[in-house]
Amino acid sequence: MVATMTNPLRVGLRQERVIAPQCLVIFGASGDLTHRKLVPALFELFKQRRLPSEFALLGCARRPWSDEDFRGKMAEALSSTIKDDPQAWEQFVGKLFYEPVDLQQPEDVVRLSGRLEQIDQQCATRGNRTFYLSVSPKFYGSGCRSLADAGLLKDPKRSRVVIEKPFGRDYGSAQALNRVVQTCGQENQIFRIDHYLGKETVQNIMVLRFANTIFEPIWNRNYISSVQITAAETVGVEERAGYYESAGALRDMVQNHLTQMLAITAMEPPGRFDPEAIRNEKAKVLQSARLADELEPWNCCIRGQYGPGGSAESPLAGYRHEPGVDPNSTTETYVAMKLFIDNWRWQGVPFYVRTGKRLAKRMSEVVLTFREAPVHLFDAATGGPTANQLILRIQPDEGAEFRFEVKSPGSGMRSRPIDMEFSYDESFGEPSDEGYVRLLADAMLSDPTLFTRSDEVEAAWRLYTPLLELIEDSPWQLPVHPYESRTWGPAAADALLAKDGLLWRRP
Amino acid sequence: MSPQLTLQTPLELAPAEVPHYLEQLWSPEQQGSTGTGANTFCLLIWQPAWAEQQLIRSGRLPGPITGQQSAPLIAAGRQAVMDADLPLSTPPLDGSVVKAVADFGGQASAEDLRGQYIDPALSALMPRRLITLAPTIDAEQSLETLVAAYCPLPEEGGGTTACGDVVVLRGGHGALNEGLSILEPLLPSSMPAWVWWNGCMDEAPDLMQRLTSAPRRLIIDTAMGDPHQCLDLLRSRVENGQAVNDLNWLRLRSWRETLAMVFDPPQQRDALIHITRLDIDVEGHHPAQGLLLAAWIADRLGWTLVSSAATDDGTSALFKRSDDTEVRFQLMAVPTGQPNVHAGQMVGLRLIAEPENGQGVCVILCAESGGCMRLEGGGMANLELHEEVVPVQHDTPEMDVARLLGGGHDSTNPLLAAAAPLAARLLG
Repeated sequence: MVATMTNPLRVGLRQERVIAPQCLVIFGASGDLTHRKLVPALFELFKQRRLPSEFALLGCARRPWSDEDFRGKMAEALSSTIKDDPQAWEQFVGKLFYEPVDLQQPEDVVRLSGRLEQIDQQCATRGNRTFYLSVSPKFYGSGCRSLADAGLLKDPKRSRVVIEKPFGRDYGSAQALNRVVQTCGQENQIFRIDHYLGKETVQNIMVLRFANTIFEPIWNRNYISSVQITAAETVGVEERAGYYESAGALRDMVQNHLTQMLAITAMEPPGRFDPEAIRNEKAKVLQSARLADELEPWNCCIRGQYGPGGSAESPLAGYRHEPGVDPNSTTETYVAMKLFIDNWRWQGVPFYVRTGKRLAKRMSEVVLTFREAPVHLFDAATGGPTANQLILRIQPDEGAEFRFEVKSPGSGMRSRPIDMEFSYDESFGEPSDEGYVRLLADAMLSDPTLFTRSDEVEAAWRLYTPLLELIEDSPWQLPVHPYESRTWGPAAADALLAKDGLLWRRP
Repeated sequence: MSPQLTLQTPLELAPAEVPHYLEQLWSPEQQGSTGTGANTFCLLIWQPAWAEQQLIRSGRLPGPITGQQSAPLIAAGRQAVMDADLPLSTPPLDGSVVKAVADFGGQASAEDLRGQYIDPALSALMPRRLITLAPTIDAEQSLETLVAAYCPLPEEGGGTTACGDVVVLRGGHGALNEGLSILEPLLPSSMPAWVWWNGCMDEAPDLMQRLTSAPRRLIIDTAMGDPHQCLDLLRSRVENGQAVNDLNWLRLRSWRETLAMVFDPPQQRDALIHITRLDIDVEGHHPAQGLLLAAWIADRLGWTLVSSAATDDGTSALFKRSDDTEVRFQLMAVPTGQPNVHAGQMVGLRLIAEPENGQGVCVILCAESGGCMRLEGGGMANLELHEEVVPVQHDTPEMDVARLLGGGHDSTNPLLAAAAPLAARLLG
């Protein structure tokens, strides 16, 4: 099909940054994330020729696998991807190695050190290493400590650690974990990953705001009346009940992904495109953010939990009936809340944030609703004039749309809303990379721009501390409202906006 | 940001003393007082600045001689074009302007600070050593050798103690040739060395030959000098596997990007396999840049060159697509009122695609600085028209060189390597 061929004039124009010779070490290599996200992302980088020829991936976990076992497991997990390009896989798989390691056992870490030196010799990776902690969060601190004790983080230019979410369970534990990891290495060696920041569309919010002059002058309380940030999933808890039961939607989605979208949407323009300048602005805006009612958080936060749903042909189980879930669980699978940002730009503008599982549609978006025109000169075809909206679609159907009023055709002077659309697919015709592709490359390049800094993580946890304390101390004040699977969440969430005369956007 | 002078007044030394002096300067015993020598790269610049030297000598430009492409220099060049009755489309620093100004006479003199001005774009990269070869108009002038240590100021991206040094070799052609013997010890093999030939390809072939031997990486500007020599040099470097980069090619980046953007939407890509005609307009009679762009398009779309011929106004050629259909190409020199400093810059491009069954497409790219009346004229009424304006680049040569050095392009850009031999063949 001609229409789907790669644009031959595009080839080679993008100046990709060059990743230095490198060994990527994944702890937790037998886990789900490794074969679902990390190895596919590395294979994609390999196919795009963005990995150096001197590259090795060393998988580490407690299972007594050999290199061949690991390669076989990865081939099995990626079989559908490999069949499109078996030759590339043949070349890539030779770069995969495995070492049984328990990071809690010092002798294992010593053996790991030796294996890394051997790989340096074999693959010319020159002692340049990225350690990826895809292990249980309770081992983040001790894992870093083991690596530091073995001298593997000694060189700040040639060693770095990537830490998966969740970084802590609350403000106190995040602070404690930060203290531990910062004794193991310098801040610029620590890469706290949030895969939402790897999404093109999230990064595009910055470009849209700071590369155009038309948006920034109106990106404030004078023109914007409210902001909605939504991350909706159609899937349930699936096989993650063990983790999810202790986390819930607030820790799993809001504290990290949604808060990062909030920060990028609301931050001040950085002085330059520099990791520290950007992270300074994100940290500052999070430090200015607060729950709309910190003293009585139940007035600004709604928790929900999905119940049964679906159709008679394909019924869906409620959360409490999912395998591994406590039948009396009060873990929330849905959260909606209202926030304010106390600074000159956003004072008084409500930010409504919601996320949930088993909702009606899978989508993430940021919606900026502008103030209404001060005087309504025209009749509106739809009954009342529609406020201008800028909708930034994070996924799926990545793009943006701008809704504004135009004259409805005909002899009268009636207005009606129309949408001006931008779609990544239509404009660029090539799918954007998975977030992990970008973030793994950035970590190996030692570029921390799209990773969260210690103060950002702490500010994000501090923002939700009143809620976490309330859930801990008197959960009845923040009840879990049931909602039917594949609906848009509990009615109480609609009531949260109705109090302000608003509705959630129904995409 | 304006260029910075070295902090230290340059020290004039006998040529033979220079290597020893610099060795002492960066020795471990001296590092406390002078900072640490940056372990980055060395840049050797051939900096004749003929137009500037002549304009200053004729009294048409105040000194000092800096080697920078300043606005007063360009304005003085444009004035000289008019005073010498040269065609108005003559680039202001062209060789014909230099010759005309030399005939004007005059004996004004000015301080020669070439090599002592360091553009912030370059100093931000913390070069370990900048060596400037500064030939003088007076071919008999004896060799002067100047040396100074240099530390980037904090606001230039410095702030660390990594420092460099500048070395200036100034004199007549013969004296410079003799002075080259000190270069070898000044370019340590442990660091990459770049040679920026900031002059015409044909003005000192012997010197160029000696300076650009492998593994030194060469930066040239194919807008300077005879187009045949420019493209032949590019071709031979590419064919011999010697690293070469071209500022004229770099200046095409917005044209390549804009053209690629037109075909990014999937519904536009079909047109690429149905192209039957390519027209390129360039400023004046210097086709190198236009031919490089045509060669890049032909290479990317898999066309093979069947024939090419010089015409009164430029070059015409015939390509064949992979399906054996012919593609006609014409490059035309067009006059412009206010010519670019660089000769032969792109004015416009037109691609016509005519599928056998379907709507034909015409894509016109036009430089922001001028019009494309010729390309927009006639015969396209039944074609779907896409027009784009290509932004003008305002980067100085120093900024472009810094872009190359900072981008880690230590080998020839693969797109240039593919396009250069074909461009040379197009010119014949």
